[in-house]
Amino acid sequence: MLKGVTRLVSRVHKLDPGHFLRLGTQAPQSLAAHLDNQVSFESPRAISCTSENDPAKHEEKHEGQHYNLPLQDMKTIFPHGLPPRYAMQMKTFNEACLMVRKPALELLHYLKNTNFAHPAVRYVLSSALDGEKGTGKTLSLCHIIHFCAKQDWLILHIPDAHLWVKDCRDLLQSSYNKQRFDQPLEASVWLKNFKTTNERFLNQIKIQEKYVWNKRESIEKGSSLGEVVEQGITRVRNATDAVGIVLKELKRQSSLGIFHLLVAVDGVNALWGRTTLKREDKSPIAAEELALIHNLRKMVKNDWNGGAIVMTLSQTGSLFKPRKAYLPQELLGKEGFDALDPFIPILVGNYNPKEFESCIQYYLENSWLQHEKAHTEEGKKELLFLSNGNPGQLERLCAYL
Amino acid sequence: MAAASLPAWRRLQPGARTLRAFSTAASPTTLPGNPRPSTTERTSRFDRPPRRKALPPRTEKMAVDQDWPSVYPVAAPFKPSAVPLPVRMGYPVKMGVPMAKEGNLELLKIPNFLHLTPVAIKKHCEALKDFCTEWPAALDSDEKCEKHFPIEIDTADYVSAGPSIRNPKARVVTLRVKLSSLNLDDHAKKKLIKLVGERYCKTTDVLTIKTDRCPLKRQNYDYAMYLLTVLYHESWKTEDWEKNKTEADMEEYIWTNSSSEKNILETLLQIKAAEKNLEVTKEELLGTKEIEDYKKCVVSLKNEGDSENTLSQYKDSVKRLLNLT
Repeated sequence: MLKGVTRLVSRVHKLDPGHFLRLGTQAPQSLAAHLDNQVSFESPRAISCTSENDPAKHEEKHEGQHYNLPLQDMKTIFPHGLPPRYAMQMKTFNEACLMVRKPALELLHYLKNTNFAHPAVRYVLSSALDGEKGTGKTLSLCHIIHFCAKQDWLILHIPDAHLWVKDCRDLLQSSYNKQRFDQPLEASVWLKNFKTTNERFLNQIKIQEKYVWNKRESIEKGSSLGEVVEQGITRVRNATDAVGIVLKELKRQSSLGIFHLLVAVDGVNALWGRTTLKREDKSPIAAEELALIHNLRKMVKNDWNGGAIVMTLSQTGSLFKPRKAYLPQELLGKEGFDALDPFIPILVGNYNPKEFESCIQYYLENSWLQHEKAHTEEGKKELLFLSNGNPGQLERLCAYL
Repeated sequence: MAAASLPAWRRLQPGARTLRAFSTAASPTTLPGNPRPSTTERTSRFDRPPRRKALPPRTEKMAVDQDWPSVYPVAAPFKPSAVPLPVRMGYPVKMGVPMAKEGNLELLKIPNFLHLTPVAIKKHCEALKDFCTEWPAALDSDEKCEKHFPIEIDTADYVSAGPSIRNPKARVVTLRVKLSSLNLDDHAKKKLIKLVGERYCKTTDVLTIKTDRCPLKRQNYDYAMYLLTVLYHESWKTEDWEKNKTEADMEEYIWTNSSSEKNILETLLQIKAAEKNLEVTKEELLGTKEIEDYKKCVVSLKNEGDSENTLSQYKDSVKRLLNLT
């Protein structure tokens, strides 16, 4: 198997530019025609893809099938949220397809029945006990975000909270609170992406308090949230405070019922973990001394209503946690668990046989699997054994074939 | 051929024989085990007794139902000719098997207990019975022994042949007691466990105190009993500083007055407020079945760690509390 793979890798490398060029230049219809010339792929398409593109209408019967997300939506909803390998796959196939899976369906059901008068319910996606990383938590979160975007909720998406607690270049002492630290770069990047996602809301929401940036500049009560965001993007020094204001205002106003708020945090265990950041005198900074983290913690507390909070736990990217840790309590720690309690844990596991079959069919249709044995039963069994049904692992394996 | 030449040699005259001795005939070297006598030593070859052939090993003469303790009455090195077992030991060469027992140094190096077979031990016990007293008839089960004699003392005596009969290892005394047989309440038990630390085993509920700081066994035994008494009395006392016990010191998770309780009460109060149901008080909320359930789930989650079971129970209880379908 290994020899075959290495030979194929060299073959695929030679084939790579031409292969992708072909896919990129040809329109999907000609691709379908090309496929039709070979074996008839009608039935696999029916198994692996569904035409129901609205997440609100996804049900049990769509479980295991891929649905298509329009690329235009992807740019607005997910300027920064997708896992890097999935983004590469999207670019390669020129389409974005997400598999409908049980955890996402469960969450959708809860979200559809949310009572907006009650405090926001917290949902935590974590790896099920037979899988560790690569089980599909981030992509399930993306599915939920797509649903909420279609339902016209305001999306507050933090793509990876771990990025905010490590490797930050400039740390400024916060002007608002002397004990805390600002992270201008991260805050301004996030504000840009937030603006892209929620463009239409920014002018509708008006802030209800006056905020003073410094002696000369201030924001008056009644001006739109868009202005706060602009100020944060242009004046990088005030970006962190701008983020704080945005979070505070959104929390306050979603309780009024003007809009529904979805707080989606990926890697929420970073909020209660250690950081790798140090002060000038090399003493470590605790997580709560970062203004961004402090404000985010307030956000995931359930003392507001009018929306929902969906979070994922992630070990990859987490700091100072052993590689084998994937259970909620291990990753969150005592502090994190106490802060998030009560929450609904939702376990995301490896593919079951139907989902696995569907995934392989999807890859076959897009001519991603070039190995001659890939569509045989034996080949599928081999892939199942090698990847153990783990979505991330399967994707990496198929990249070689 | 060589054997035939030997008696021919014998018949030779002494003179002719000495002539032979100087010659460099090949025959002396072909005869096995008959070294050429040095020229200084003038003992005649046929004065020396002939070398005996190796006898068959004793194992071939052993009956299956023989008395083994008489073969190995004391600790003795492994004798391959006396042990009738086809034992092999050693690292095999490629495509080979471990070495056989004849001339095997590995078998000699390791300690063997061939002198302590069950039959031999039975014989020892029979011999020792004359020096023992009767086992009390009333103590015929383990539970009765536990009940009447909860404390167990282990001591070791050493006998060896040597210039001195003393052995410093003989002063070690180990005291074992089950905490369930001591009269301790909840606080006392927790305090005792904290005081002894490593010496308590949670799975078997046994406290083990090993003392060897005094020179005599008797003194060590007294010291161990003293330690047990002191621990017992100290754990019943409550000091002033014990009320500063923080959550980090707690051995297990206690739900009352924890942050989990606060969170859930706040959440429920908010839900009730949203439903305009302001008459509900904290005590009422605490008494409901859902909260009881939730409390049990959180306690088991914290104390036992995450597992599929505990997580799914927790999930169900939270769903019921928050009225999600």
